[in-house]
Amino acid sequence: MSLSKLQKRKRFGELIGMIYSIAIYTVLYIPVLVMMIFSFNDQRYNYYWNGFTTEWYSKLFSNSTVIGSLWYSIIIAVLATVISVTIATIGALGLRKYEFRGRKFINNMLFIPIIVPEIVLAVALLIIFMKVGLALGMGSILLGHCTFCIPYAVVTIKGRISGDGYSLEEASMDLGASRIQTFFNVTLPSIMPGVMSAAFLSFTLSIDDVVMSNMLAGAKNSTLPVLILSMNKSGITPDINALTTIMILVIVIAMILNNKIKNALSKRKKAEGIL
Amino acid sequence: MKKTMSILLTMILIMGLFTGCTGTNANSESDKAASSTELNIYMWQQYISDDLIAKFEEENNAKVNLSYMSDNADAITKLTAGGGQEYDLIMTCDAYMESLVDGGYVEKINFENIPNASNINDSYWTAKEYCVPYLMNYIYIIYNKDTSPVEIKSYNDLINPALKGQIASIDGARNLFPIALVALGYDPNSVNESEIAEAYEWLVKYNDNVVAYGNAEQNLTNGTASVAFTYDGNASWAMSELGKDNNLVIADFENDPVQLGFDLYVIPKGAKHVDLAEKFLNYITDPEVMAANLVEYPYSCPNDVAVQAASEAYRNDPARDFDYKQNVFFQEDVGEAITIYNDYYQKLKVGE
Repeated sequence: MSLSKLQKRKRFGELIGMIYSIAIYTVLYIPVLVMMIFSFNDQRYNYYWNGFTTEWYSKLFSNSTVIGSLWYSIIIAVLATVISVTIATIGALGLRKYEFRGRKFINNMLFIPIIVPEIVLAVALLIIFMKVGLALGMGSILLGHCTFCIPYAVVTIKGRISGDGYSLEEASMDLGASRIQTFFNVTLPSIMPGVMSAAFLSFTLSIDDVVMSNMLAGAKNSTLPVLILSMNKSGITPDINALTTIMILVIVIAMILNNKIKNALSKRKKAEGIL
Repeated sequence: MKKTMSILLTMILIMGLFTGCTGTNANSESDKAASSTELNIYMWQQYISDDLIAKFEEENNAKVNLSYMSDNADAITKLTAGGGQEYDLIMTCDAYMESLVDGGYVEKINFENIPNASNINDSYWTAKEYCVPYLMNYIYIIYNKDTSPVEIKSYNDLINPALKGQIASIDGARNLFPIALVALGYDPNSVNESEIAEAYEWLVKYNDNVVAYGNAEQNLTNGTASVAFTYDGNASWAMSELGKDNNLVIADFENDPVQLGFDLYVIPKGAKHVDLAEKFLNYITDPEVMAANLVEYPYSCPNDVAVQAASEAYRNDPARDFDYKQNVFFQEDVGEAITIYNDYYQKLKVGE
C-alpha cells in the first residue's frame, strides 16, 4: 500500500516535471516556430496567413543587400571573436597568476563595459573615433565589439583557470620545456574549455549586436541586425524570416553534428582505455 | 664665393618649395573640379525607388551607397557626435532643423546647382538655405465607416469610451502629445508643464481605446481596429489594399489641425562629395523623376510640379482627398521641455 503511494507520488512528480518543461519549451520556441512558418507566407506583410509559398527564399538569395550584410556580420563576428579571445586569454592568465599593484582595481574595472548601458558606450566610442579621425566602417565596429566582448571573455576564461594548473606548469618547465612550449602544451589545453566558451560567447554577442553596430557603422555597409531594425518602419518582409529560418536550421544541424562527433570520440576513447 | 653659393642654393630651395606648393594647390583644385564617383546617403529604408537610384548611378558614373536609419534620432546622434562627414546626404525631419542649423552641423546648400528646387512649394519650406524637402506626411485619422461605433470629427471623439479597443495608432511622444494638446485647446508644441500634464491625462483615456501601437494600417485592413491614427502614405496603402470599394474614410475634421511633417535632405558639415550630393538633389527634385518615385512610394509630396506630373492614380488617391490640408501644425523644437514630454510619455507607456 505504502509502496504504491510512493509510486503515485513519483509519477505525480514526473508529471509536474513534464508539464513544467513543456511550458518552458513552449514559451521559448513558439515564437521561433511562428517566425519560421511565416517565412512561407504568401504576403508582403506578415500579419495574417495568406497561403503557402517558397517565393521569399528565392527573393532572399537575389537580395544582395541582405546577403551582403549577413557576410559583413559574419566576418566582423569572426574577427571580433579571434581578437577578443586572444586578448582575453592573455589578460585572464595575467590577472589570475601574477600579483601586481592595482590588480584588484583592474579586475573590478573589467565589469564597467558590462554594466554601462551599451548605447552610452557606443556614443562615447563614436565621439572618440570622430575626434581621432578614424573612419567609420568595419574597423570601428570591430573595435566597438571588442570593447564589450573582451570583459565577458576574460571573466569566462578566468573562471576556468584553477590553482592546481600551476604545479603542472612548473613540472613542465622542470622537465626542460620553455615558457612558450609550456603555454601551448600545458596551460592552453588546460583552459581550452574556458577559451572555447568565451569564443562562442563573443561570437554570439558580436553577431547579435545592434546598438553598437548601428552607431558605429559607416556609410557603405551595415550589419544584418542593423539592416533588419531599419526595416521596422515599413514592416519586416518575409525574406528576413526566410533568412532567420535558414540560420536556425544551420545552428541546429551544427549542434546535432557536434554531439554526434563528441559521442563518437568519447566512445573511441573508452575503447582505447579498455585496450 | 661660398656665401654666394649658399645664398643661391637657398633661393633655389625656396623656389622649389614655392613651386611645390603651387603644384599641390593646382592638384587639390583639379581634384575638386573632377566629379566625385561616390555618394553616401543615410536615410529611411523603403523610401526611395531602387530603379531611380540605379539610373542616377548610370547617368553620373557613380556609386550610391545607401545606409538606413531605424530612427530619426540615429541621424541626429551621428551628426552631433561629429560623424557627419561620413555621409554626403542625411535625411532628417523639419522638427530637428533649427537645432542642427544652430549647432552648425549642416552645410549651406548652393541652390545655383539645384535649379529644380524651384519646383518645391515655398510655403512649406523651413530653414530654406540648409535643406531640400523630399516627401511629407500628414498624420490624420481614418476610420472604417461601417464598423466604427463613432463618427469622428475631432480629436476629442477619440476618447469616447465607445471606441474602447478600436484604435490603431502610431507611437512616439511628439506624435501623441500634440493631438492631446490640440484637443485641449493648447499649443501643440507647448512647453508648459501643467498643459503637458493635462495632455497626459487625456492620453490615458486615449490609451484605453487603443488596441495596438504601430503598423496601424495593417491593423485596419485586417479588422483588428476600426480607427487608425496614421500617416497619409500608410492610409493610402490600406485603401488600395482593401480595393476600390473600401469603406475607409478620412475623418472629417471641422476645426482641429493635423500634424504635417517633412522628411528632408541635409548636407552634413564636412561632407566629401558635395558636388554629387547637389547633383542628386537636383535629380530627385526633377518633376519626372519624383513623379516616378511617387508611383512606388505614394506619400504626399511638397514638389508641386512633380505632383502635377504624377500618375492619375496618385493624384486621385483618396488618402489625400481631404479639405483641411491647409489647417496644419508643425512639430517644433521644444528645447528643455522635451524631458517633460519624455517623463510623461514613459508614464503613459509603463504606468505609474
